[in-house]
Amino acid sequence: MNWSFVIANAITLACIYGTLAIGISLTWSSLGLINMAYGFIFALSGYGAWLASQYIGPNTPVVMAAGILTGVVGGVFVNALAFIPIHDKPNYQLRGLIATLAISLVGNQALLWSFGPRAKSLPQLFGTGSVNILGVVMTADKIGASLSAVVLLTLVLLWMRSSRRGLEIRAMMMNPHAASIVGIGVRQTSFSVMALTGGLAGLASVLLAQTYYVAPFSGITPMVKGLSIALMGGLGSVPGAVIGAVVLGTNEAFTSTLLGGQYVLITQFLLIILILLIRPRGIAGILDKAREA
Amino acid sequence: MTAQSGRREVLHVDGLSAGWGPMRVIHDLDLNVYAGERVGLVGLNGHGKSTLFLAIAGLSGWQRGSILLDGHEVGRTRSQGPGRYTHLVVRRGLALMPQGDEIFHGLTVEEHLDSGAFTPRAWKERGERKTRILKIFPPLEALMKTPVGRLSGGERRMVSLGRGLMADASLFLVDEPSLGLAPKIGKSVIAALMAVELGGSAMVIAEQNVGLLEGRVDRIIGMHAGKLKGEASVASPLSSKGPAA
Repeated sequence: MNWSFVIANAITLACIYGTLAIGISLTWSSLGLINMAYGFIFALSGYGAWLASQYIGPNTPVVMAAGILTGVVGGVFVNALAFIPIHDKPNYQLRGLIATLAISLVGNQALLWSFGPRAKSLPQLFGTGSVNILGVVMTADKIGASLSAVVLLTLVLLWMRSSRRGLEIRAMMMNPHAASIVGIGVRQTSFSVMALTGGLAGLASVLLAQTYYVAPFSGITPMVKGLSIALMGGLGSVPGAVIGAVVLGTNEAFTSTLLGGQYVLITQFLLIILILLIRPRGIAGILDKAREA
Repeated sequence: MTAQSGRREVLHVDGLSAGWGPMRVIHDLDLNVYAGERVGLVGLNGHGKSTLFLAIAGLSGWQRGSILLDGHEVGRTRSQGPGRYTHLVVRRGLALMPQGDEIFHGLTVEEHLDSGAFTPRAWKERGERKTRILKIFPPLEALMKTPVGRLSGGERRMVSLGRGLMADASLFLVDEPSLGLAPKIGKSVIAALMAVELGGSAMVIAEQNVGLLEGRVDRIIGMHAGKLKGEASVASPLSSKGPAA
């Protein structure tokens, strides 16, 4: 078995899935919305990046910016369609789930219809070289993917810690009722949350397309993985999502090397069931020192 | 906006009804609060004090009737969507310090105080306002970087009240500030609220315990079964007159 290959894969996958999981986690805890259209936003931004690479030029900043911007637009679109009209109506959480699922189905079919079933590949954004770090051979695409995910996520988290808008989002994540009491508008904030998480989906899409490809349904599996990591980490917890991403990334790299790629989802869900049996609130239940009520 | 007394009305409630689902808690209620005064709202559990406050903030289940806050209409007729317009009412100058504190358990004390200052002017002045709050509630000084989820009940109450006092509010609604606290701490919290300089704003404090407010607020209004019952000024305390009991 090639250890260095497994480790390199685990790190890359952890970074990309972690980005998705944080996006899903943020949406759930601040808006109470399980965004089933996240996979659609993911695929859409892949196509956005692909179009940019075809019509503007295949250089790294352009393609990444196009992917992230398409994700932002997709997030705002989903928010306007599935959150704003129903968020204060009875049974909102179930309705939101169904509405986003509908957007996902329609959107994926629309992508299939307009771009055709053939997968597109994005240009190599990070070159083709490789570096040997402590015996682990990291190819340039993996280093680039991991680094850009870590850097951008750190920036996002720092922004959420330090800015006023970030404070609003965090306040809404912890107690939406109290947030309205201090003058935070749910509708305004929902747009920034969805734009932010959409941008994260766009980033993850461009990065994952370095290893895989862009296809109309390419967002479904990453979304399922992101959602399960978010669940495992404890919905709403960023550190939990990061640890969950590392665990599941490692699991995926090992399973696909030892057993074969088709078993990844099986071992992954077994692992999640195991963790949730022991810690029903997810990994965050261990990290959280504050009392809930 | 001048009333018969010649003072500016901060709050003018006219014909307000509010409740939750099929239950009507507030019945055609009228209430005036003037600038610079402290009003006690006294009544037993379940007689509508909290619902009145929540309805003014647009957080009750449904509501009907006119609410003028600083001369601006913030009341509306609505059957659902609690909280949808609350942030607009808050930006008009309402600071609600709800029962049960409604804290953000993962944010630090300092972040809480910041979150109370979301109006543009308050945000710019939030540094000096925080210093002012710390003068009112000195125990918070050492806890500024602690997540509120780790604080005791009394400390949380101070955080919740401090957050409300950070705002540029013209009307402070304080819902049972002594609830669930040890009598000594409850008294000190009330004393701190009495020490706040109101200026052109007004404060309404809901309490079950008349004794805590007697002699310290400008007038006391009783509340019974969703209606206001009688009024007593401080000059003639309730115990001797007794319309609000």
